Amino acid sequence: MKRRNFLQSSLFASAPFMLNSLPVSALKHKQLFNFFNLENDKILILIELSGGNDGLNTVVPLDQYANLFNHRSNIIIPESALLTMNATNGLHPSMVGMKRLYDDARLSIIQNVGYENQNRSHFRSIDIWNSASAADEYINTGWMGRYLDQNHPTYPDNYPNEDFPDPIAMTIGSLTSDTCQGIGSNFSLAIQNPDNLSALPDYGEFQYPDTLYGNELEYLANSIQQTNAYQEVLTAASEAGTNLSPKYEINGSTRLKERLQVIARLISGGLRTKVYITSIGGFDTHSGQVESNNFAQGTHAELLFELSDAIEAFQDDLKLQGLEEKVVGMTFSEFGRRIKSNGSLGTDHGSAAPMFVFGSCINAGVIGNNPTIAAEVANQEGVAMDYDFKSIYGSILMDWFEVEESTVRSILYSDFQYLPIISSCQTTSVDPVEDLGYSITLSPNPTHGPVNLDIELDKPEWIKLGVFDTLGAQIKLISNQSLGTGHHLIQFELNDLSTGIYFVRCQFKNSSKTFRIVKS
Amino acid sequence: MNRRSVLRKLVASTSSIAVETANTIAPYSGPWTYLEASHLLRRATFALNRDTLEDAVDNGLDFTLDLLFADKPLPEPPINYFFEEDPNVMVGETWITKRTGDGLNGYRHRSLRAWNFNLLRNEGIHLREKMTLFWHNHFVTESINDPRLRYLYITLLRNQGLGNFKTLTEAVTVDPAMLLYLNGHQNNKNAPNENYARELLELFTIGKGDLAGPGDYTNYTEDDVVALAKALTGWRVQGSNSDEIDEPFSYYDPNRHDTGEKLLSHRFDNVVISNSEENEYKEVIAIILGKTEVAKYICRKLYRYFVHHHISETIEQNIIEPLATIFMDNEWELKPVLQTLLTSEHFYSSEFFGTIITNPIEHIIKTLNITKIEIPQDDITTYEFHNNFHIKARNMQMEYFGPPNVAGWKVYYQAPAYYRNWISAVTLPLRMDFTDDLNLRRIRANEFDLSIDPLKIVDQIPTDISLDPNLLIQDLITVFYCQPMAQVQRDALKEILIPGLPDFEWTVEYGNYLDPNTTSEELKMAVRNKLKNLFRAMMTLPEYFVC
Repeated sequence: MKRRNFLQSSLFASAPFMLNSLPVSALKHKQLFNFFNLENDKILILIELSGGNDGLNTVVPLDQYANLFNHRSNIIIPESALLTMNATNGLHPSMVGMKRLYDDARLSIIQNVGYENQNRSHFRSIDIWNSASAADEYINTGWMGRYLDQNHPTYPDNYPNEDFPDPIAMTIGSLTSDTCQGIGSNFSLAIQNPDNLSALPDYGEFQYPDTLYGNELEYLANSIQQTNAYQEVLTAASEAGTNLSPKYEINGSTRLKERLQVIARLISGGLRTKVYITSIGGFDTHSGQVESNNFAQGTHAELLFELSDAIEAFQDDLKLQGLEEKVVGMTFSEFGRRIKSNGSLGTDHGSAAPMFVFGSCINAGVIGNNPTIAAEVANQEGVAMDYDFKSIYGSILMDWFEVEESTVRSILYSDFQYLPIISSCQTTSVDPVEDLGYSITLSPNPTHGPVNLDIELDKPEWIKLGVFDTLGAQIKLISNQSLGTGHHLIQFELNDLSTGIYFVRCQFKNSSKTFRIVKS
Repeated sequence: MNRRSVLRKLVASTSSIAVETANTIAPYSGPWTYLEASHLLRRATFALNRDTLEDAVDNGLDFTLDLLFADKPLPEPPINYFFEEDPNVMVGETWITKRTGDGLNGYRHRSLRAWNFNLLRNEGIHLREKMTLFWHNHFVTESINDPRLRYLYITLLRNQGLGNFKTLTEAVTVDPAMLLYLNGHQNNKNAPNENYARELLELFTIGKGDLAGPGDYTNYTEDDVVALAKALTGWRVQGSNSDEIDEPFSYYDPNRHDTGEKLLSHRFDNVVISNSEENEYKEVIAIILGKTEVAKYICRKLYRYFVHHHISETIEQNIIEPLATIFMDNEWELKPVLQTLLTSEHFYSSEFFGTIITNPIEHIIKTLNITKIEIPQDDITTYEFHNNFHIKARNMQMEYFGPPNVAGWKVYYQAPAYYRNWISAVTLPLRMDFTDDLNLRRIRANEFDLSIDPLKIVDQIPTDISLDPNLLIQDLITVFYCQPMAQVQRDALKEILIPGLPDFEWTVEYGNYLDPNTTSEELKMAVRNKLKNLFRAMMTLPEYFVC
């Protein structure tokens, strides 16, 4: 059986899926392939905060503090303990390292990232983040996997090879990452320690029958051969590479820190792997998120410390080695947590949360507005989404990996909002908030039904308007259109909705504004 | 027929089997050969070796199935096998009903996991341990602090794993470990905690359907999660980690129970749950189990565990739905469903032989059991070795008592790779290290060295087989692997056994070793080394990693 057949037959688990009504295999051989810049040497680090990070205790909205305090008085970080970033944002006190990165213009925070119709199941939600599907779509490939499929349509057949001697993607840990699941194969090679690899026995190639049994044997045989082939380059890169930051030693070692240190050494050793994925677990803080006698300590504080301390050491290492301009990193988590804390010193599954992007080639600062925390919130209310995570993925694919916009849309199966996350690498200070080129007001609020949205545009804009409930579900789409320069009044009705709290989300081409509105 | 000739007859010159699929749960009535028998033993037990395979072939499907479901008492509890500083438990006594204290949980955890691993390894021809593991992966708890609670939890699954699903779900709902793990213990009328209610629906019973509308997952809604959480309020755990209470337990505290009415959504026919105090959780389960989808959800999960991950429309209609009907008709008794599945035409479709990548625990136990490796019987050595195996399985990403999260091990649900998720550049070398250690080196515990003696296996094979290298390899293949092997691969294995030599050289050398007049220690070592190379190779080929 040929490897190619193996790849195709392993699709049996799902209906063959289509991109723009063309079979994927046809697409990837034809137009898409040349759209990529294969010379691009940029590297992306993904860190999964597994369990659902409580964004409201991570990046605390100072302008909402009074209301937030009322909703989570048993866990909120005292205002005086927060690390002040600017007039309206404070970081959790254990994130000293990332605060320093922020001051050094190497950290960007994107506020209120989530997706429409937030799913509050861990497993479904992380599938959505990994596959970059919509909440009601089931897709068996990962977003990085689809990107890598474009450049490596025949993988794993004849990989590694002269042009691509290095692993295409790597997971530091024991499991491959679903983010890197391609159509036929997962691109991520999982390793724990590149210094501890030895060759596996390989008794040569056999022709396995084209049956379910034969397919499993073929898969295992491939895994053996590939593990051996990549092991040589990993060992070489690990030996050639180095770590220079003293910060790996300061504060002691943690698992995440060790893993990032391995990544830094491999990059330093010249490995041309495009994507590294690792994770830190334990963010599902239903109980004991904070200590009862000191809210700045507890499980969440320890996790954020590990994250912040590890990222700082990693970034410092890259800086000392002159590698900063090759690497950008990003955190993600399946959801944020609810505004109201629970009775167990913890928080339950919520909706949107902030994402961190780190590196020297980014627009440092805070992108987006603080979440709005009202005086009264529903028990199940999470933070309303401003930015769809696919917009962050898409913007990074475009600006960091130089992928054509149209191709990004096909990889993400959707429109995405372009966000200026990546920038030239010369940034030396936190960017001032730029003039967004519009002003927008909503009235009346509360409303019995009618809503007026006054929009003033300095330049033509595209606007998508939707109404969401407190669980993050989209209730109605009001408008999805282009508007010219000048004043616009958009009127719509909420009289068909039951009384309660809703969110009106106005998505522009490069930014978003969300209003919390009360239907009375 | 002489039983010793059964295998001989069956293995002769087979190199491949026809791929057949029967999409029906009608009782299997086709040939009962070592292929079908080994398929059953690999999937339903941990006990395959040459003897059990021959017995199963001889005894036939019906008899073997009776063994799988035979009534069986619970095992003796784990003991304190070495720790001399527990004021309440002497070495040699069990700790499961004795208060704990500072520094006492460590040895108890060690004892529990070793004891448990040993149970799996020595289960014999019975379905219980496979089902206990199934339920551990289903009703997940992970890393529970107090070993006594882990013991109660796993004993519940072991005791009821072949019983009634409804009764089991009820018992799990108020099991102390589960109450602690999914915050049921903190769930009270003033601060309802939805964690258990959500997983009860999403993972334990009905499963999450497609998103049909805001907060509506077809089978249930977000509001149902809230309502059921309220209905489940009031349960507490007493004595966890206590140095005063010998036997921790769960109990119902009426002061913490929400006595109000709980209105369910149209997905549950707008049923209202009224206050029924400590019996309310049973009503919750009865309402959920009123839905046929529960039976299908559980049958799909059993299917993925025992047969194959892929459930097509045809399989859904012809296998899952009929099984679900049996499940409902028998009021959630598990035996009829499992018996039907494991005796069905579908289960014995040759298409499925060897199509599941073994989990790490299966990989370890398979290696120990097919080689009939013997571990000294004394408590310390037995416990220490099994603790060692537990840790090896953990490193290969399968820790008993510590699944990665509440959904269980990813391989049993994560499309599209499913069982392939066991394999990575980290875990594959660890699997091979384990068999290499036993074949080429040793595993040490309590100053005892454990290794495989291939002669012990080969000497038990009738000499008309073992003297012929071709037949010998065929014979080993029937025990080590799920399907016959192509001639070219068998030749490659023979090349490892007797590199560059004609067949008769094996016959002569092994014959001289067997003959009391010509044997010697040197010859024995030489023959053993040849066989070690063969075993080592056979245990690192892809065929060894599937069942």
